[in-house]
Amino acid sequence: MYIADVMRRSGRSIRSAKGRTLLTALAIAVGTFALSLTLAASNGAQKFVDQIISDNFDPAELIVAADESITSNASPSKPQQYDPSFGSTASGAGATIQVKRITDEDIKKIRALNSVESVREGIQLNVLYVTREGQNKYVATIAGLSPSQKPETLAGDVQQPPQDQTILIPEAFVQSLGFANASDAIGQKITVAVRKPINPASLDPAVLLEIQANPQKLDEITASSIVFEEYVIAAVLKKPTTSQPGTELYLYVNNADARRLQDISTTGTAEFGKFFTVNVKVKNGENPTTLEAAQKDLKDLGYFSLSVKETQAFLNQAIGILQAVVVTFGAIAVVASIFGIINTMYISVLQRTREIGLMKALGMRKRDIGRLFRFEAALIGLLGGLIGTGLSLVAGLIGNPAIRKAIDYDGNLIIFEPLQLGGLVILLIFVSIFAGWLPSRKAAKLDPIEALRTE
Amino acid sequence: MITVKNLTKVYGKKENTFTALNDVSFAVPDGATVAIVGKSGSGKSTLMHIMSGLDSPTRGTVEIGDQILSTLKGKAMDKFRATSMSFIFQSFFVEPNQTVYQNVMLPLEIARVGRRARKAKVLAALNAVELSDKVDNKAANLSGGQKQRLAIARAIVNKPKLIFADEPTGNLDSATGDKIVQLLFGLNKSIGSTLIIVTHDHELAARCQIRINLKDGVIDSMGRTKPRVVAKTRPAPRPQPRKVI
Repeated sequence: MYIADVMRRSGRSIRSAKGRTLLTALAIAVGTFALSLTLAASNGAQKFVDQIISDNFDPAELIVAADESITSNASPSKPQQYDPSFGSTASGAGATIQVKRITDEDIKKIRALNSVESVREGIQLNVLYVTREGQNKYVATIAGLSPSQKPETLAGDVQQPPQDQTILIPEAFVQSLGFANASDAIGQKITVAVRKPINPASLDPAVLLEIQANPQKLDEITASSIVFEEYVIAAVLKKPTTSQPGTELYLYVNNADARRLQDISTTGTAEFGKFFTVNVKVKNGENPTTLEAAQKDLKDLGYFSLSVKETQAFLNQAIGILQAVVVTFGAIAVVASIFGIINTMYISVLQRTREIGLMKALGMRKRDIGRLFRFEAALIGLLGGLIGTGLSLVAGLIGNPAIRKAIDYDGNLIIFEPLQLGGLVILLIFVSIFAGWLPSRKAAKLDPIEALRTE
Repeated sequence: MITVKNLTKVYGKKENTFTALNDVSFAVPDGATVAIVGKSGSGKSTLMHIMSGLDSPTRGTVEIGDQILSTLKGKAMDKFRATSMSFIFQSFFVEPNQTVYQNVMLPLEIARVGRRARKAKVLAALNAVELSDKVDNKAANLSGGQKQRLAIARAIVNKPKLIFADEPTGNLDSATGDKIVQLLFGLNKSIGSTLIIVTHDHELAARCQIRINLKDGVIDSMGRTKPRVVAKTRPAPRPQPRKVI
């Protein structure tokens, strides 16, 4: 038989058992739907991550730390020795760790490297509060604005770097600080309060005695240790969707101001002049080779660095894990549907025992009879694949606008790649042919004498 | 010329053996009509299966033209069967879900007849059995007699040398059966195929040029209505006791 004739006959036999075929195809479609949607969602997530990275990081910059924990998120497996020079402890993932920080000394050393263009301290400071005359006090985090950040504004302009004593506030603070609207806030002053730590050793012994006698005196002293700085609001930032997660409520100042605030709040403590990370701009760092060379230089000095690419890989790893879970379930559904196909194909073979017998008696080759049923299985796979991917396209069509609305993001989070969908359908066809193998073999091996025996 | 020589078929092993055919020999000239007659269990179906190459004999040979069937294996056998023989069955075995046209097309597809030649052949075959007006009907919608005519069209469409008919009138009433028989004999003459009918209907058998009566796996008697038929048979040995299965 010619292949075309075999295919035509397979198609006819599928059409003559529509219900059965459709139900089997639906089983495959469930898995296909999950797989196709996962692929599309991970495309979208990837793009989303890329957007976050390009909006927040300069590819020529490295994040540099003195502690290895920056390059891995594994919790330590044994207790760490206390080192007073490390400063306070921090809670890692389920463990308390001390993180070795970068000092001004280190910054000097890094700056001296030939490959380095500039070094900027990475500062995210929890200030005591921010407020405005006649308004409530709000806890806040102030960060130095990175040169690569391009935040969108509701009002005002973002200068790079921001002018001294100016501040960028997020949209959410407008109402809290008692402004009617965003443009109202521009040019107004807000107060940033930072606590200057008290070193008991530096206190007058007489004062100490006084505190002993009257504990309320301590409150007075602590209150007097709060430093207030005034900042002019330069811009109100639009609620960002592609910011680094967790930075939505950050207030931004220039790096010098941020440094000063941090110095005030750490005066006399082990944390003074120490930073978890610094941002190192590499000369010609856009070139991956140069960037890698700089990373090696830093490594030789005993520092650990993370490039944007590595950060991205870090984020993508998290996406990858989620993806793997959904793909696993989708694959299980597909595997389960294999048994459905096998079952359906066996029924088809049984139902057509006589037809097979007749074809064999008339000299149809074993190979062609096997093909007849494998094509039939392939068609079921094709149908299931088309239904599944079709449904996922519909889900994307409905889901994208809903997600866009929910997270206020301009792009699509479900992105279909024609090549991926095509590949998926072809994969399913092969899976179905694999599932049809045993039944088709049974058909090919059927004894025509047995098959043609009357009743 | 079909020559059957010393054909023996034994089923089973050791003490459970059953001899379905025992040393059967005969010859049939091309274009003849042959009836293989016998009661059920006489070995007539086995004989047909071996003559058509569907089954292989324990001993003996079948020669069709200059081809010894047992020397054909796999692909060659399939090809030989696709081009040289066809079948008509008691229960028709037409595909109910397919149209009349598609049913008749099957042997042509199997024999890899070129696409352009097919249509004319199918229509000619349907014309011969007077089903031209049913070309696009589903086979399921045909009456019993029409189904058997369809099966005949399918059998003759590729003009085989050999047509096997297994109780072709068994499922039909006598009037319809009669028509089918007339049709069969007429076509046999016009296309020159050898027609081998397996039946227990003696009336039908009487119309064939050669009658081979089988009894318990041996030829009980052979009748000829035309002198050109050559029959060779040894004196029948004592029939073996049949085992009841």
